[in-house]
Amino acid sequence: MTTGAPTTLLTVGHSRAGRTGAVTWMALPALVFFIAFGVIPLLGVLALSFTRWDGIGEINPAGLDSWRVELNDPGLPHALKVTFEVMILSWVVQTPLSILIGVFLASHERYRAVLAVLYFIPLLLSSAAIAVAYKALLDPNFGLGAGLHIGFLSQDWLGKDKLALGAVVFIVSWQFIPFHSLIYQGAVRQIPRSMYEAAEIDGAGRVRQFWSITLPQLKYTIVASSTLMVVGSLTFFDLIFVLTAGGPGDATRVLALDMYKTGFQANLMGPASVIAVILVLVGLGLALLLRRIGGGGASDSQLEGA
Amino acid sequence: MSTSRRDFLRIALAAGAGVGLSACGSSGPESSSGAGGGAGSAKGSASYWYLTGEPGEGIRTNTVDRFNKANPKTQIEATTFQNDAYKTKIKTAIGAGQAPTIIWGWGGGGLKSYVDASQVEDLTDWFAQNSAVKDRLFPSSFGAATIGGKIYAMPAETVQPIVLYYNKTNFEKIGAEPPQSWGDIMDLVPKFNAEGIAPFSLGGQSRWTNMMWLEFLFDRIGGTEVFQAVFDGEKDAWSNPASIQALTEMQKLIEADGFIKGFSSITADSNADQALLFTGKAAMMLHGSWTYGSMATEGGDFVSSGNLGYMNFPPVEGGTGDPSDTVGNPGQYLSISAKASDAEKEIAKKFFAESVLSDAENKEWVGAGAIPIVNGTDSLLTGSKDEDWLKFVYATASGANVFAQSWDQALSPTAAEVLLDNIAKLFQLSISPQQYADNMNEVIGT
Amino acid sequence: MTTTATSVDKPAAVRRPKNSRRQRRRGGPNWLGGLAGWIWLVIVMVPIYWIVITSFKTQANYYAMNPLKPPTSPTIDNYQLVIQSDFAQYFINSVLVTAGAIIPAVLLSFLAAFAIVRGNNWFLTGVNGVFLMGLAIPLQATIIPVYLIIIKLQLYDSLLAIILPSIAFAIPLSVLVLTNFIRDVPKELFESMRVDGASEWATLWNLAFPLTRPALVTVSIYNGLAVWNGFLLPLILTQSPGRRTLPLALWTFQGQYGVNVPAVLASVVLTTLPILILYAVGRRQLLSGLTAGFSK
Repeated sequence: MTTGAPTTLLTVGHSRAGRTGAVTWMALPALVFFIAFGVIPLLGVLALSFTRWDGIGEINPAGLDSWRVELNDPGLPHALKVTFEVMILSWVVQTPLSILIGVFLASHERYRAVLAVLYFIPLLLSSAAIAVAYKALLDPNFGLGAGLHIGFLSQDWLGKDKLALGAVVFIVSWQFIPFHSLIYQGAVRQIPRSMYEAAEIDGAGRVRQFWSITLPQLKYTIVASSTLMVVGSLTFFDLIFVLTAGGPGDATRVLALDMYKTGFQANLMGPASVIAVILVLVGLGLALLLRRIGGGGASDSQLEGA
Repeated sequence: MSTSRRDFLRIALAAGAGVGLSACGSSGPESSSGAGGGAGSAKGSASYWYLTGEPGEGIRTNTVDRFNKANPKTQIEATTFQNDAYKTKIKTAIGAGQAPTIIWGWGGGGLKSYVDASQVEDLTDWFAQNSAVKDRLFPSSFGAATIGGKIYAMPAETVQPIVLYYNKTNFEKIGAEPPQSWGDIMDLVPKFNAEGIAPFSLGGQSRWTNMMWLEFLFDRIGGTEVFQAVFDGEKDAWSNPASIQALTEMQKLIEADGFIKGFSSITADSNADQALLFTGKAAMMLHGSWTYGSMATEGGDFVSSGNLGYMNFPPVEGGTGDPSDTVGNPGQYLSISAKASDAEKEIAKKFFAESVLSDAENKEWVGAGAIPIVNGTDSLLTGSKDEDWLKFVYATASGANVFAQSWDQALSPTAAEVLLDNIAKLFQLSISPQQYADNMNEVIGT
Repeated sequence: MTTTATSVDKPAAVRRPKNSRRQRRRGGPNWLGGLAGWIWLVIVMVPIYWIVITSFKTQANYYAMNPLKPPTSPTIDNYQLVIQSDFAQYFINSVLVTAGAIIPAVLLSFLAAFAIVRGNNWFLTGVNGVFLMGLAIPLQATIIPVYLIIIKLQLYDSLLAIILPSIAFAIPLSVLVLTNFIRDVPKELFESMRVDGASEWATLWNLAFPLTRPALVTVSIYNGLAVWNGFLLPLILTQSPGRRTLPLALWTFQGQYGVNVPAVLASVVLTTLPILILYAVGRRQLLSGLTAGFSK
């Protein structure tokens, strides 16, 4: 495959610089849009965190007031805790299952056709739709569990702190395991057979092969999928907003929801912006951390050792 | 080069088509509620936002229709929202400068936040000039409309005290009488639970529904002074012993399984809490008097067959509060957006003078089981199909020593949000009364 | 990287013999994975099945009968209720918003990706870096300033208010996927175009565009689904019912009819139907679209 070898040596005709001049402007429209609605709001969030604004009246500069208010608010560490709980729990539930299912899907052609059709429907539903449906399904008096008279299923899932958190993790997994298993499936199918053949010859059993070959080869996929899960879980809003509105109490009030409530319901846009800044920093931090764990460039070949 | 120009046009067209399509969309066909894209857009029309939920929704719509018929050149366009969504939507709209001409609200702290941001019209002079309009209305209803000595809203609609409803059939099932005191309530709880009936229905997710309980407990145990101290901004007002006692009693009821299973995920907007009462799954419910109308229409023959019982919240043994006190909404409040055009403001004022609480509207309210805040309505009550209920509401509202405004409307939106938050946690049993008091003390006066 | 690109295009038939050989070679079926797969399939299907059959029951029937049994006398009343509640309007809004956001987003990202791959200066490298960073920014975090900007632009409560930020946030991922894809286009092809005297612009449309088409489809689908299902932007930036998009409509409908479970579920089914139809028609593209950039 052609790699990015020094093309300056191969260039014929126009110089690279001339070509660059012609194409540079092409990147401008996208850049403009992104700056207008991406970068400027990002800076705007930082700026707003130094103001006092109730969303209705004037915006007043307020120095570090909003920061002080927000950092002293016990709601903030709580929101961080809930966010990380959801993040970690959903990773722990989703990743092993997705890998197992991905491996399974990769090797069973016949079932795949059937499974593939039905299996990925959760991906098509909007978070709002899923939340609405599950709200009805989990109702302790009128839901699925109550109708079937199964005590375990008709608990007050959305009304008790720990259960609500568990319900959120479950629903998130329900929504996204198909997605991640798809990613893993694609990755597993790229592992060269030769590696497995070599292991067979060495007498390694299926389980051993899984641990020694499959998993290491999936390393970058695990990092990519985990990055998605982790950074994605920071942005959970739709599902939780419709399902529990952060409740019961504040048991499921993740950072994004805390930001919305502080800003649009309590009329405290300054502190809400502080939360937003924290959200961004945590997101960036996690993305960088995962990249570090993943060991640098995703462009490194995964075929080492093949 | 000609090629690139052609291609450039191709892109421009494609992008333009995309944007053009969307621009079409923003001025495209309107839905039946006729919202003209936010604030009164068409010439000669004002906009008016209010809540969904019968019977109020229908009556408000009829009032608007009557006005529009009588004033073909100056129309009012109405848009409806659900209660909880409305509370946020109206703020974002005002903040965006796209408030409706006529803003429906609860007065009090919410209104004050609009006044502070100069977003609503001062109506003091208008009322002075139109004293006929002012004098018709209950004097007590102007309390929540007055900020800093000036009137910023037109009181409208009905008095809505909070009432303790009960399902008579369920009481007959266990052979009990409606509770006459808090002690009776605690006694009834295990009896109903043994029968598989939830003692109390509650739409806890809405949070203000939980608040109604505390409003009464505070009042019955320590009198109106307890919350008044909070409202006045007195330091550590929430740590008042009466306050702590009320909070403790509240948690006792919850711990005794006084509320229906799953109450923290039931919203009031969906009327699910009312359904639990009229389908017999719950025995009692503390709720606003406005729910009478919807229970009458949606509950089959629950109301018409006389199965619905109602009473004022009972006293608490050893409490110093006046058992005739009540809490709730002393009225609804219509404000005029300061950002509306002069023409729109005139339309709104005309609407206030002519159509709001007209005789026709009053009849409809009475027919739906509610008392309009107009002097002399009691004469309308005799002979109505809900005579007993109406007389009860009238007596409760007018006979109350103090009619306190709902806490979340009396306080500022910021404090209200902290209040509702802590109430939710209290009901979840995840904070103690002392913690509640500490948390709330910090936001006194904000 | 090329493996995945071509695997989208190669028919499955070519691969089948290899895989079944691999299966046999592994010796013994994958019990754990199989169990997990089938159990998860049940977990996925039961709620969906429940949603569909309940939507055809009346409210009274729903309370009375076993929730997992299909309705004895199915009714379409719930669907009629949903349609009468202006869902056609909401559907149109969703279509306008999605098309209005994706077409510009993909086009502009394509242009930018081409520039990044073909050009070589600090500016373009910087642009690429900016977009890459954009991948780590959660959209929610910027919603308050976006609200402000939209107000200042006097676009509050319009479909454009949803479209413009959506375009911006679709760009980073699209640029990433498209740059990866365009990089795989052999340099010789570009060289031969230049030898023929074609401008970069012509190269863009006559060479890169057709070759990149699979990735363009992929990116359109991924972003299209995200915008179609978007909730936060419509929630904050619109207010009139006339501007509602489907996810928002679902929420308000549920708020109003919450007790009427069959009606609520009918609204869920109805709003998902368009996507389901697209899924039935173009499943392969949809799925490859959803995993865009991550198989690389």
